[in-house]
Amino acid sequence: MKKKFDWLLVLDIVAGVGMVVATGLVFFYAPMEATMGNVQRVFYFHVANAWVGMLAFTLAMISGIIYLRNKRPVWDIVGLASVEVGMVFMLIAIVTGSIWARPIWNTWWTWDPRLTTTTIMELVFASYLLLRQGIEEPERRARFGAVYAIIGFLSVPLTFFSIRIFRTIHPVVVGANEAGAQGAFDMTPKMGLTFAVSLIAFTILFAALTWHRIRLGKRAAAVEEQKMRLAQ
Amino acid sequence: MEGPAETTVYMIAGYAVIFGVLFLYITSLWVRHVNLSRDEATLRDLERDDQS
Repeated sequence: MKKKFDWLLVLDIVAGVGMVVATGLVFFYAPMEATMGNVQRVFYFHVANAWVGMLAFTLAMISGIIYLRNKRPVWDIVGLASVEVGMVFMLIAIVTGSIWARPIWNTWWTWDPRLTTTTIMELVFASYLLLRQGIEEPERRARFGAVYAIIGFLSVPLTFFSIRIFRTIHPVVVGANEAGAQGAFDMTPKMGLTFAVSLIAFTILFAALTWHRIRLGKRAAAVEEQKMRLAQ
Repeated sequence: MEGPAETTVYMIAGYAVIFGVLFLYITSLWVRHVNLSRDEATLRDLERDDQS
C-alpha cells in the first residue's frame, strides 16, 4: 500500500530549521543593544511569542464562528487546539517579559495596562479550558467553547491596542512610543532582520504545533466514540 | 564612556524559559499521543473479544 505523504512532517522540519536559524541570528548576528546589553535579545522571541499567542486566540474565534455556522465537530477541535497552543506561547511571552523587566524597569512586575490586559487575556482563555472540562455532552461543550472563544477574543484587540490607548511604560515595536516608555530602542537593520525571521519562525512553529494538537484531538474524539460504542 | 549593562544572566533565564516551556509542551503532546495509541490498542482488543 502506498504510504500517504505526510505534510505535517515537512512542516515540522521547516519549523525546526526556522527555529535554529532564528536562534542563530539572535545570538550570533544581531548586535548587542547599547544600553540594555544582552537582555534585549529576549525581545526577538518575546514579541514573536506574543504575536503567535494572539494569532492563536484569533484562530480560536474564527473556528468558533465557523462551528456555530456548520456545527462540524472538527472546528471545535481546531478551536481547542488554538487556545491550548496560544496559551503556551502567551505564557512564554508573559514570563520572558517579566525577566526582561527586572533589569530594565527594576521590577519583575507592574500593573501597567499592557501587562494587565495580557494577564486578563491569558486568564480568560485558561478559564475556557477549565470550564469546557465541566461539560459532559460533546455538542453542548462545543457550542459553549465556540461562544466563549468569540467573546474571549475581545481581550485580544484590547491587549494589542492597550499600549496605544493608555499611558504605559511598555515600549511599542511599531509606531511611536509614549513619553514614559522605558526600554525602547532604535532597531538597526540587523536587529530588524532578526526580528522578522523570529516572527516567521514562530508562526511556522505555531502552525506545526496546532496541527499536531488537532490530530491529537481527532484521535481522542475517535477513541471516545469507540468507548461509547463498546459501552452500549 | 559607560558601556551596555551587564544583563547576560537575564537573557539566559529568558531563553531557558522559552526553550524549557516549548520542550515541556512538545513532550506533553507526545505523551498524549502515546497514551492514545495504548487506548486504541486496548479498544481494538476489546472489540475483537466482543466479536468472538
